[in-house]
Amino acid sequence: MHEIITWQVGTGTVHAKTLIMTWIAIVLLLIFVFLGVRNLTSGKPGKLQNVLEWVVDFVRKLISDNMDYSKGAPLLSYLVTLIMFIFFSNMLGLIPNFVEPFFKHVETAKLNEILGEATLMSPTADINTTLALATLTIILVIALGIKHKGGRYFHHFIEPHPVFLPIHLIDILAKPMTLAFRLFGNIYAGEVLISVILLLPGLAVFGGGIIPMPVWLGFSIFIGAIQSFVFTVLTIVYIAQAVASDHS
Amino acid sequence: MNPFGIGFAYTIASAAASEGGGGGNPIAIDYTYFSQILSFLILVWILKKFAWKPLMDMMEKRRQTIEDNLAHAENERKEAERIRQEYQADMLKARQEAQAIIEKATKNSEDRSSEILAEARKETEKMKHAALADIERERDKAIADVRDQVVDMSIAVAEKIIQQRLDMKGQEALIEQFIQEVGDRPC
Repeated sequence: MHEIITWQVGTGTVHAKTLIMTWIAIVLLLIFVFLGVRNLTSGKPGKLQNVLEWVVDFVRKLISDNMDYSKGAPLLSYLVTLIMFIFFSNMLGLIPNFVEPFFKHVETAKLNEILGEATLMSPTADINTTLALATLTIILVIALGIKHKGGRYFHHFIEPHPVFLPIHLIDILAKPMTLAFRLFGNIYAGEVLISVILLLPGLAVFGGGIIPMPVWLGFSIFIGAIQSFVFTVLTIVYIAQAVASDHS
Repeated sequence: MNPFGIGFAYTIASAAASEGGGGGNPIAIDYTYFSQILSFLILVWILKKFAWKPLMDMMEKRRQTIEDNLAHAENERKEAERIRQEYQADMLKARQEAQAIIEKATKNSEDRSSEILAEARKETEKMKHAALADIERERDKAIADVRDQVVDMSIAVAEKIIQQRLDMKGQEALIEQFIQEVGDRPC
């Protein structure tokens, strides 16, 4: 199962496989989206345009359900990108690695190791990716809180009493942590189980591998969709809490 | 234990072992974190600029178009309703006018007929009066003639009587009485 393959960058390292898979996910997402917006029309939309409009409307509704839409509208692009990127990332780990034979002997940049497994890998099965997204979420929360409430935003840290300050600090740290680990855990666990099913030995491959694999892949698609939804909704909710106008 | 159970347990154990042994802790944070932040932000920027913005503009445009169409349709409907009512009013007016014309014509003809009748009646009345006056006049004339003749005859009779019996003084009173009577009698 995913051994962490690293590239040396300066004084540190990066997870090579995660980066490659992120790029693949981004390229697939860009192809999908640009095919959808290729023939934009305000008349009768094509199928892909319809899908994209559905996603945009879906996220727009999530925003307007949770907060004053005028405050959330500038976030629409970010959130649509977020939900689609996470969904594409989650799906990537379910795709069989068809290019493995071509890279078997390519030592360059450890490509033979990176593409040496039976399936691709979800970028979201790496804690770096999920933590990066969660960090962006919490930065947005704080930035928008300050933008809409100014200095009063920090007042909520000492409500209802300054004694509660540590709890609020834990809260603001726990939010991105739970976001990151929830997504990472779900997707990583799904990929571990795929590896386990692929490792079923002997008779079990025919008796057990063929039946559980499609079942688990179907369930993983479900999990992947749900987790991208949850991540986006929680981002919206956290931002909504931060920008909600005071009841006074 | 059946073979499957053993195999499955072994599989999980070996997977877990390879996980722990070869790759180390799956939760390892390094520069990938920053790289991911950067790539995601770039992705957001690209998609926002080249995909979401045109897409949302188009959706807004469609919304606007539909709104315009609806407003237009509503206007058309109102206009049609207005024209319908106008036509209805016109038709009602025309019907009322026709009714009035018919009534007026009926009244005119009635008036005319009664006028003609009255005129005819007046005419006959006049003719009757004229006739009556004629009759009256003729009668008066006749009476006057008769009276003249009576007077003449009386005078003649009186002459005759006077001629025959004037000498008879005895008859004097009788003649006087006679004359008296003739004079008193209305003609």
